[in-house]
Amino acid sequence: MAGVQIENVTKRYGAVQVMHGVSVDIADGEFVVLVGPSGCGKSTLLRMLAGLEETSTGTIRIGEKVVNDVPPKERDIAMVFQSYALYPHKTVFDNIGFPLKMAKRPSSEIEAKVRSAAEVLDLAHLLDRYPKQLSGGQRQRVAMGRAIVRDPQVFLFDEPLSNLDAKLRVTMRVEIKELHQRLGTTIVYVTHDQIEAMTMADKIVVMRDGRVEQIGAPLELYDNPANVFVAGFIGSPSMNFLQGAVTAREGEKAFVSEGGLVLPLPETPASEGQKVTYGIRPEHIQIGQGGVQLDVVVVEPTGSETQIFAKSGKELIDAVVKDRIAARPGEKISFGFDPASVHLFDRASGIRI
Amino acid sequence: MQSNKLGWLFLAPTILVLFLFGVLPFIYVLWVSFHQWNPFAANPNMIFNWADNYRAVVFDAQFLASLGATVAFVFFAVVTEVIIGYFLAQAFMGDFPGKAFFRTIHTLPLIVAPIIVGSVWKLMTTPSIGIIPHLLDNWFGLNLNIGTSALAAFTVTVVMDVWHWTPLVTLTLIAALVSLPADPFEQAQIDGAGPRQIFWHITLPMIAPALVATVFIRLMDALRTVDEVLMLTGGGPGSATRYVGVHIFKEVFPRTNYGYGSAISVIVLYLTIVVCWMLYTGLLAPRKGKEG
Ligand SMILES: Nc1ncnc2c1ncn2[C@@H]1O[C@H](COP(=O)(O)OP(=O)(O)OP(=O)(O)O)[C@@H](O)[C@H]1O
Ligand SMILES: [Mg+2]
Repeated sequence: MAGVQIENVTKRYGAVQVMHGVSVDIADGEFVVLVGPSGCGKSTLLRMLAGLEETSTGTIRIGEKVVNDVPPKERDIAMVFQSYALYPHKTVFDNIGFPLKMAKRPSSEIEAKVRSAAEVLDLAHLLDRYPKQLSGGQRQRVAMGRAIVRDPQVFLFDEPLSNLDAKLRVTMRVEIKELHQRLGTTIVYVTHDQIEAMTMADKIVVMRDGRVEQIGAPLELYDNPANVFVAGFIGSPSMNFLQGAVTAREGEKAFVSEGGLVLPLPETPASEGQKVTYGIRPEHIQIGQGGVQLDVVVVEPTGSETQIFAKSGKELIDAVVKDRIAARPGEKISFGFDPASVHLFDRASGIRI
Repeated sequence: MQSNKLGWLFLAPTILVLFLFGVLPFIYVLWVSFHQWNPFAANPNMIFNWADNYRAVVFDAQFLASLGATVAFVFFAVVTEVIIGYFLAQAFMGDFPGKAFFRTIHTLPLIVAPIIVGSVWKLMTTPSIGIIPHLLDNWFGLNLNIGTSALAAFTVTVVMDVWHWTPLVTLTLIAALVSLPADPFEQAQIDGAGPRQIFWHITLPMIAPALVATVFIRLMDALRTVDEVLMLTGGGPGSATRYVGVHIFKEVFPRTNYGYGSAISVIVLYLTIVVCWMLYTGLLAPRKGKEG
C-alpha cells in the first residue's frame, strides 16, 4: 500500500497542452474520486499514474518513490479502463486470472481467487465465455474482476460502473467500498455519477480543462464550493445561479437580479454595487408562504420528491421538495429559503465571496 | 427470384473463368493421370491403365527422395520467412527516419519474376564468377560451390526463397499488427506482463489468424516452386534440390511422360491439402470451437 503524490504535472500532445500543472496529494489508503466534465483530463491523469502516458513535466510519486520513469509493469497498480480493455482471445476466467498468472501464482490459488471474484461480480456462470459474447455491463464486471483479484499498491478505476443498471450499480458501489475497507488500498476513482462521488470518496478532486478547481471532502465541496464551477458541478440537480448586483435596501444589503428579482443576502463582505452571482441549491428551497413569487413552468414528480421549475421574467429557478405538490403550470408559487444557505460568488472571477 | 437470377448473371463471368482455367484443367489432369500417355513412345495414344501411375509413383524412389527434399526446403524456408517477416513487421511498426523508403524497397523482390530471381541468384552464386562465393571465400575462407555440394545448393535455394518471399510475410503481418487494438497491450503491462509474455499471451494469439493464412499461402507456393530452382541448380547436384515441382517438370517435359507427371501432381495437391488441413485444425479450429 502506498500514497500517491502528484506534483505540478503537465501533459502535452505535440502542440496541445491538456494538463496544466495538476497537484494532488493522496494519503495512503485514501479513496479519491476525480470528477469533471468530459474531456477535462481525468483519464489522462489516471493513465499517467499507471505509466501508460508520459508526464511532460512534474513528478508523480507512489509511496516514496518517484515513478516518472518506472514502466507500468513495475508500478504495481491495478487499473480498470474506461474501455474495459479485455483480452478478446481469452475466456472470462483467463481474463480475470491473467494478472495472477503473470505473477506466477499457483493454479489452485488462481482458481480460488477467480471463482470468488466471479461470485462477487455475478459472473460465475459466464467464466467460459469470450468477451465478444458478453454484454457491456458484463464486460465491465470482468474488467473489475481482473483488478480485484490483485492486491496492488493502488487501484485506478476509470468509470468502472458506467454501463451497469441501477441496481447492479448500487451493489457494486457497496462492493467497492467494502473492498476498500477490507484491503485499505489507495483508490483513485473516476466517475460522472454524483452519488458515487459523494458516497464513496474520502476526498473529491474537481477538474476542469486540465486544471484542479478544488479538492476536499464531499460535504466540504457541497457546503463551501470554491467557485461557481464547483458549485454548479457538485450537487444534483445543480445549483441555481442568478446574475445581478448587491444593493442596499432599507439599510440592509440585498441582491437584485438582472431581471429585477429581489432576494435576501446572508452576512457577506460583498460591497454595495458589486456584481455577483447568486447561488441557491434546489433542495434548500421551501415552498409556502413568504419568499419570492414565481410562475410555475414545469412540475416533475419522481415519487420520493418533486422538482419544480418556476420563473420570474427570464430567470428560471428550480426547487426540489419532499412533498407532493399539486401546482400546475401557470400558477403562482412562492419559493422561500434561509439566507444562510445562499452562496455568493464574484461575477467576474467566479470566486466565492 | 428476379434478383437471384440477376445475381447469378453478375457472377457468371467469374464462374466461367474459374471453370475454364481452374476446374477444367484440374479434371483434365485427373483424367490424364489414369492413362499411360507418352506421345513419343511406341504407342503415342492415351491408354487407360487404372491406377498404375499412382502405384508407380508410390514406389518411385526418386519421387520419394524428392518429396523429402521438398519438405525440408519448405520447412526451412517458411519458418525463416515467418520469423524474419515478424521482426521486420515489428520494426516497421516503430518510427525511424526513412521508414517509408525502406518499407518500399523491401517489397521490391516480390515484383521480380521467379525466373529472373533464379537467373540472378545463379549469376551471384556460380563458383569463380559469382559475388557470393567470392566474398565468402575472402571473408571466412568458405568454399561455396552449389555445383558440387548438396548442402550448399540446398542452402542457397532456401536463402533465395527467403529473399524473394519474406516481404510478403512482412506485409501481411504489418497489416495484422496495425489493426490490433491498443488497450489489451496496455492492460497487459498493467497486469504485470513483460515483453516476452506479451508476445506469447497477447500478440501471437491476436495475430494468429493472419499468421496462419500467411503460412498457408507461403506453404502452397513453396511446395510448387519450379522455375527459380530449375534456373539456379537444375535440381542438382545429383538430385539434391530436385523438389517435387522440379521433379514433375523433368518427368513431363524432357521425357513427355504425361500420365505419370499428372499422377504426381494430383498426389502433391492431395498432400498440400492434407498439410493445410492439419495446420488449420491444429492452430485455429480449436479456438473457433470454443468461441462457438
Ligand atoms: N492522444 C491524444 N492526442 C491529443 N489529445 C488527446 C489525446 N488523448 C486525449 N487527448 C485530449 O486530452 C483531453 C483529456 O482527455 P481525457 O480522455 O483525459 O478526458 P476525460 O476527462 O477522461 O473525459 P471523459 O469523461 O469523456 O472520459 C481531451 O481534450 C482529449 O481530447
Ligand atoms: Mg475518460
